Amino acid sequence: MQYVIPILFAFIFIFAIIKKIPLYDSFVEGAKGAIPFALGIFPYLACIFILNYLFEESGISAFLVKLLSPVFSFLQIPKELCSLVLIKPFSGSGALGTLSEIYTTYGVDSYLSRCASVIYGSSETVFYISSVYFVNAKKRNLTKPIIISLFASFCSCCFACLICKIM
Amino acid sequence: MNIIFAITTTFSIIALIFINPDAVLSSMLEGGEKALELTIKLTAVYAVWLGVFKIMENCKLDRKFAKLLKPVNKYLFGELPEKANDYISLNLSANILGMSGATTPFGIKAIAELDKHKNTDYAVAMFFVINATSVQVIPSSVLALRSSLNSSSPADIILPTILATLLSTVIGIVLVKVFIKKD
Repeated sequence: MQYVIPILFAFIFIFAIIKKIPLYDSFVEGAKGAIPFALGIFPYLACIFILNYLFEESGISAFLVKLLSPVFSFLQIPKELCSLVLIKPFSGSGALGTLSEIYTTYGVDSYLSRCASVIYGSSETVFYISSVYFVNAKKRNLTKPIIISLFASFCSCCFACLICKIM
Repeated sequence: MNIIFAITTTFSIIALIFINPDAVLSSMLEGGEKALELTIKLTAVYAVWLGVFKIMENCKLDRKFAKLLKPVNKYLFGELPEKANDYISLNLSANILGMSGATTPFGIKAIAELDKHKNTDYAVAMFFVINATSVQVIPSSVLALRSSLNSSSPADIILPTILATLLSTVIGIVLVKVFIKKD
């Protein structure tokens, strides 16, 4: 897997040289776009992060985890993994933090940790995508797609817990 | 997004007034700082990917590549404008290969491109759901973390992860096809 990106880059560069494309000029032209891009994303990232920190700090997220854990255990999701399932749609870095906590608490090869790995790997940070991808776009109503994504991700969480019992 | 932001922040602030009023501003500032940190990191990542992508664009490699994925895209999104098809193809392949830095710029460009055309709500919804349910084949960050903690077999979660992520993506695609009208 570690060869994919280097080979891809080498292929593109060699192809460009054969086609007599000015490599340096093209690269600079493209890289120019990076700063306006990042500037455009910053306010949205700031909002998500501020939301996350407030939510975590206020204890509401811990309260929600407690409130929802009976529902989760009914769906065969162990209660130790509730916070991971709940944080994943909001914050990728938060979820990664929770994941490594689970690893160190329960041992990296335990059922809980394997289950947590699959949950982490099987879904994306839904609210990051719903804000950042639409930076340069007109206003859209994303309620339906967001609900669909959250539901689908949640299904894969339940599935993850089942499959880790077998495999 | 407006509703979610309004509800979560207001409730959190009210709760914090009772628990620890000092934490309101400090946690917000900490959030802002973390966002700035990430933005700077992302600037570097985008510079690399957008540079490489410009080279691809200038030698028309992106177009050739997008042609390969056209049948898949047509099935998922319906008829797409050519430029949008290019960006969507790049975004999806970056997603599959787990190049997490490259997905965002292509995703933003794809949606901005779709915006220039009429009746693209369905394609945008589908594109969003596919991205949000993740199509990554190799969960590289999980693997790295597991091996760093001396897991006896860090890779044994690959197959379950692929199955789970496939399931969520399929459910997502089916639900979009059922609940969102093709225009």
